[in-house]
Order: sequence, then structure tokens, then C-alpha cells
Amino acid sequence: MEKRIQVKNFLDNTGIIDLQIRLVAGSSGLGREIRVGDINRPGLTLAGFYDFFAYDRIQIFGLGESAFLRQLSETQKRSVLEKFFSYEVLCCIFTHNEEPDRIFLEFADKHGVPVFVTQKDTTKFTSSLVYLLNEAFAPTVTLHGTFVDVYGIGVLLIGKSGVGKSECALELVERGHRFIADDVVQIKRVDEQILMGSGSPLLKHHMEIRGLGIINVKDIFGIRSVRDRKRVELVVIMEEWDNNKQYDRLGLEETTHAILDLQIPSIMVPVRPGRNIPIIVETAALNQRLKKLGIFTARDLDRNIQENLKREGIGE
Amino acid sequence: MTEQEVVVTSDAGVHARPAMMIVKEAMKYACEVKLIKDDVEADCKSIMSVLGLAIISGSRLIVRADGDDEATAVASIVTMIENNFRPYENSAQKN
Repeated sequence: MEKRIQVKNFLDNTGIIDLQIRLVAGSSGLGREIRVGDINRPGLTLAGFYDFFAYDRIQIFGLGESAFLRQLSETQKRSVLEKFFSYEVLCCIFTHNEEPDRIFLEFADKHGVPVFVTQKDTTKFTSSLVYLLNEAFAPTVTLHGTFVDVYGIGVLLIGKSGVGKSECALELVERGHRFIADDVVQIKRVDEQILMGSGSPLLKHHMEIRGLGIINVKDIFGIRSVRDRKRVELVVIMEEWDNNKQYDRLGLEETTHAILDLQIPSIMVPVRPGRNIPIIVETAALNQRLKKLGIFTARDLDRNIQENLKREGIGE
Repeated sequence: MTEQEVVVTSDAGVHARPAMMIVKEAMKYACEVKLIKDDVEADCKSIMSVLGLAIISGSRLIVRADGDDEATAVASIVTMIENNFRPYENSAQKN
């Protein structure tokens, strides 16, 4: 589904990043919808080149654009802006605290195009804005699972209801790991290679344990036991032990699980009463860290054995 | 797969107790049951998941089930939502 975000909602909810902007005109257009996570510098357009004019993006007016507008005579400016605003321009932001003049504001108000001014310089502002746009327009999916940070590896536990994901997370928290989300995990592809997982803002740090009901992990275990978001680096698929199924005994092959078209390393852990799943998850996380460092235990052992066998073969 | 749309009419929306009722009902069936609101999918057998949907009065939901007893599962959950979760309140009074 195509994402749309109102200009107002987008610029109001920038989290820890302060864009330092103020609205100077066009407040009637604050409800306009941003549909693409790109920006545009309208320099060429103002100079008269209207091919490829990406009017449906946020327009950034830097020092160049401001200077260009300033040196135009009033008649020239009116004709330039007449043409510029004849397109359905999304919104304009002036950097370097360069406030646009009366004529510009007049046009913006008339066409309901929000105009903002920021104190930041163009490069810094653009980079913050692009970061925020990427976050806002990142493909997102909500998964049923439990998400825990184990030794710095974001481990997503998935499996059917009742298989013991929450209990496993609870035990991991007790062992000093950090809890991120239970049951509802929101995953965002913030980059071609990076998936970030977090909990639903509504359910923050709550967990349901059969027999106990709903508990708040942060209240019970304290601030060190939780975190808000984490990169998803390992998927642990928990399923009930099936005697007819062959489980991985070597770990020579790397299996992956696809989330938002990204392949994340995964392991399948069969569960049965008496099996200590948290210790397996902890070890899997550590093993994943080793793999990231290029140490692949199963393959190393296999290579050693093969070399040994070869040596014995030639009678050393 | 069976699915059916239902509109929540209960004034308070789906808070903890109604959520628990939905989950309890879903747990009776072996099939997978999902609750969908505005393209967000929740597992009907998980309280947190159902609560996370933030269902208010007037929310349009799709109850979707997949498995052997899917038809009965969908029908019973839809009926329960349509009846404003009344069966629970009645049984609570009896107790």
C-alpha cells in the first residue's frame, strides 16, 4: 500500500531530531500529503527549466535559490512564481534563516503551500530531513513474535501461540538481557540491509505470561532490562518437537528467514518439556556474533577433519 | 480460509476484558485465527496482539481463520463481537 503522511504530522513528529523550523505562510496547506520520501532543490525550475520538476516533493530553498529570487525585479518575480505555484507544490522550506519576501508568501498563502524557514544550513538540514523521510517511508510489517536483545544481537523469536516465546524472553531478561517487544513486533526496513524492530507504542514493555496475566517488564526488572528498538539480526523459529522431523545437527549450512524481502540468519529450535531454550538462544546469539567476525565453528571443524583425513590417506 | 467483516459497536471498544474473551474464544479452535484492522494483522490467540490493535467503537474488523474448524471459529467470534461481548457479562453476573 502506498504510504501517505500529512505534512503537519510529519514535521510535528520528528522525535529527537529538531529541524528548527517555523511556519511563515500557507498554513491552510498543512494537511497536504507527502507521498514520496525524496526532496527537491528547485534552482533549475526557478530559472525556467520545468522538465522533471518534482513538485510533489519537499522543496528546499538554499542560499542559491534565495539569492536568485532576491535579484529578480518585482515583475520578473511575479511571473516566475506564477509559473512555479501553478504546479501543485507540496511545501517549501528555506534554510539559513532566509525568510522569503512578501510576494513569495502571498503566492504561497494563495495556493495553500506551507512555507517554513529553518536556521540550519542546507546540507545539515537536508541530511536530517532525508533521514526522517527514510524512516517515515520505510517498508513496515507487524509480526507476531517476541523480540529480545541478547548479548547485543537482536533476536526475534517466532512460533505458534503457546510454544513458549514469552516465557523464554522472561528467562532471558532474568539473565540480564534486554526485552524489546512481545507478541507485536513492528519491523521497519530502514536501509537496504537493515531491519529495525520495535514494540507497538501502545503496548510498550508489556508482556502476557499464561498464569500471570499482563506484566510490565520495565517496572518489574528495571530500566536496564528494556530497550526501545534494535536491529533484527537473528530469527529463532520455535516449534514443538516433531519426532518425524530431522533437525540440524551440524550447522554447516546457514539458513535464513525472509522479512520484508531481506534474508535474516535463522535457526530452528525444537521445543519440548525440559529443554532449556533460553540457554540455546543465548548460545545462538553468541554464535551469530562469531559468524559476524568470520568464525564459523562447524565449517572450521569440518575443514580440520577433512585435512586430517587427507593426511592419514597419504600416510603421514 | 474463511473471513468475515464485523463492526465493533460496544462503546468502550476492545479493552482488556473483551480482548480476553476474544482470545479465549479463539483458543477453543485448532485453526489459526487473525483479527485485521486497517491492514494490521493480530493473532487472535494473543491478548497483547489483540490489545495492540486499539479497537474502538466503530472499528471495522476482519476475522480470518485458516484450518480445519475455520468456519465455526469465524462465526463464533463474529457473533461475540456483534453481541457486544454480552455472554461474558451475563456469566459474570451469575457468578
